[in-house]
Amino acid sequence: MTVSAFAPVDGVRTSALRCTGAARRTVAWRAMTTLPTDDDTQREADATVDVSTESPQERAARFEREAMPLLDQMYSAALRTTRNPTDAEDLVQETYAKAFAAFHQYRPGTNLKAWMYRILTNTYINTYRKKQRQPKESDAAEVEDYQLARAAQHTSSGLRSAEAEALDHLPDSDVKEALASIGEDFRMAVYLADVEGFAYKEIAEIMDTPIGTVMSRLHRGRRQLRDLLTDYAVDRGFVNEGKVDR
Amino acid sequence: MSDVHPERRSTEPDCAEVVLRLFEYVDNEAGPEDRERIEQHLDACGSCLREYERDLLLKSLVRRACGPERAPHQLRMQILTRITSVTVVRSDVTQDGS
Repeated sequence: MTVSAFAPVDGVRTSALRCTGAARRTVAWRAMTTLPTDDDTQREADATVDVSTESPQERAARFEREAMPLLDQMYSAALRTTRNPTDAEDLVQETYAKAFAAFHQYRPGTNLKAWMYRILTNTYINTYRKKQRQPKESDAAEVEDYQLARAAQHTSSGLRSAEAEALDHLPDSDVKEALASIGEDFRMAVYLADVEGFAYKEIAEIMDTPIGTVMSRLHRGRRQLRDLLTDYAVDRGFVNEGKVDR
Repeated sequence: MSDVHPERRSTEPDCAEVVLRLFEYVDNEAGPEDRERIEQHLDACGSCLREYERDLLLKSLVRRACGPERAPHQLRMQILTRITSVTVVRSDVTQDGS
């Protein structure tokens, strides 16, 4: 994106977003009737705002207050999803542009992060997945598969703790590499659950799939991750191949 | 998650069943009854406990290694500029029309 005539943003932005007399009066009125304006007060106002009576400037300011603090998280997610910084930046740009354009549809007070994630995921699927022409992993027979696999892998070996110990010593770069090399749907499910801590129900909404599919992706993704990390641990000599329990 | 085998609720769960539900437990998604039964089983079964610890470790490993990274400053500025420029254009139109 080219930075255009609007480049010297700071002055413009301040005046554009905060200059209207009405807005200033609202702030002043709020300051007189409630506690002095602090973050909590602002957050509460943002969560209960009447979208239909909001001016474009007020909406832009609210978007900035609410969506910009999520930027690091969105960028990190984009980085894990696309696996390269250039695509990640493009994806985040596009996500924010779409989110801003559709911000009047976002219901104040609901989970903005999940809403943004859904836009990011959709954008990625519609744009980048096509571009990358990556074959999509099949979800066929997934729930049964996950249940069978889960049951089958349970064996009673006493050597797991040593292996767990070894995994814990792997450098972060190994874990990132392992996550980057598993299937895209698995990767996103694991990322959303483990890094962002989303509930299964939220992941299902973000990825637009049934909860059973989310569980299957998590299960299979983690299984693959675990196998990869075990391989790395063996390669690094942290753990003896003969002692690995798979 | 609800119980898959409600008819077996009163009986002792076997390892296969517990292992099947472990990652829901690790993700804090198990229902209260499943939770309690899993916890009781983990107290008694060393091999399931190790399985649980490994699941837990993997989850924390991913969180530690793949957590938030700082977005490039330029990206932040570009997005802010975009928000702002749209606002400026709109406010200009409003002023012209009034």
